[in-house]
Amino acid sequence: MPRIRFETADREVTFPEGDEVNLLRVAIRHECGIPFRCASGNCGTDRVRVLHGADQLLPARRRERDRLGELYEQGYRLACQTYVAGDVTVAWDPDQREMEASGKVYDRLRQVWLAKDDTAGSPGSDG
Amino acid sequence: MAELLNTTDFRAALEDAIKGREAKNASFSKAWANGELSREHLARWAENHYHYVGPFADYLAYIYANAPDTATDAKDFLLQNMYEEEISDVRHTDLLIRFAEACGTTRERVMDIDNATAVTRAFQGWCYAVAFREHFAVATAALVVGLESQVPSIYRRQYPVLIERYGFTEEEAEFFDLHITSDEIHGERGYQIVLDHATTPELQQRCLQLVRHGADMRFAYTKALYDTYVAPDAPVADPEPALA
Ligand code: FES
Repeated sequence: MPRIRFETADREVTFPEGDEVNLLRVAIRHECGIPFRCASGNCGTDRVRVLHGADQLLPARRRERDRLGELYEQGYRLACQTYVAGDVTVAWDPDQREMEASGKVYDRLRQVWLAKDDTAGSPGSDG
Repeated sequence: MAELLNTTDFRAALEDAIKGREAKNASFSKAWANGELSREHLARWAENHYHYVGPFADYLAYIYANAPDTATDAKDFLLQNMYEEEISDVRHTDLLIRFAEACGTTRERVMDIDNATAVTRAFQGWCYAVAFREHFAVATAALVVGLESQVPSIYRRQYPVLIERYGFTEEEAEFFDLHITSDEIHGERGYQIVLDHATTPELQQRCLQLVRHGADMRFAYTKALYDTYVAPDAPVADPEPALA
């Protein structure tokens, strides 16, 4: 059976031959400790360095490539976006946080909070 | 009288409860994956799907309110899930409408529930009722394990076909790409919440029942799309009257 080695946690998990499994899902299920937040390819908190078996990973889609930028060329993947088909070893910094904000999220929140028809905090509201 | 299942057996029972009812095997899903639908069919899908997923944060908000303040892990997951649906990036329903517009329909048509089938309206009503009335672990089982956790297996088949056979751009089909991965994680966290908080035999059995019902509802909703929109156009007439 194919084996995922979570180097930083010193853990290994196997999965059935022929399956393609989501890397972060396996890590969560087996409590392997990859940090994560959004699960949507936005925050970059779950970036991992692929030590072995990069050819056993399904190719990154646009969202992941865009978020990782040049880290992608350096052998990093986002665990939430990555499907594994065979033996692979990954490592990460246990204290890593989200990657520098792209600004998109904050722009979006600003739009929501400062929308013209947003009456929150306006005179007469309950505050 | 059912006994309390250990975590391994309960998880296996939850997974079993979906088997044989997976929406990826419903007629509309199969026709989609085989490249047999037209853009008009996909537009009708979007006009229906909006009324199932559009209120997803509302369903989760009811579950959130029903969860006690001691269930911090469950509450945090629900809140995060709501945030991601609505404001963490492009609103998910806006991604759905972007796809709908690429199929040739309009935002107004998508948002008008008169354009949904009766089965879609029943599906939405079931989601609201379960979220509002059931124990939070049971409602999580129904909506997250029974419904949301199926998404990756459905969209992993449908997304490549959208690009390669139906000719959509990655941007037009972003709704699907996003949910393939985010619902993997939501589904897994959902399992954890159900395993941790369904702590009596009665709650476990109710979870299993509602996962079966949820999977049945999603299957029926998906099949009704085929019966309503595709079967009348199919070369061989369907002997069954179409659902309307
Ligand atoms: S958890 Fe945020 S990018 Fe993967």
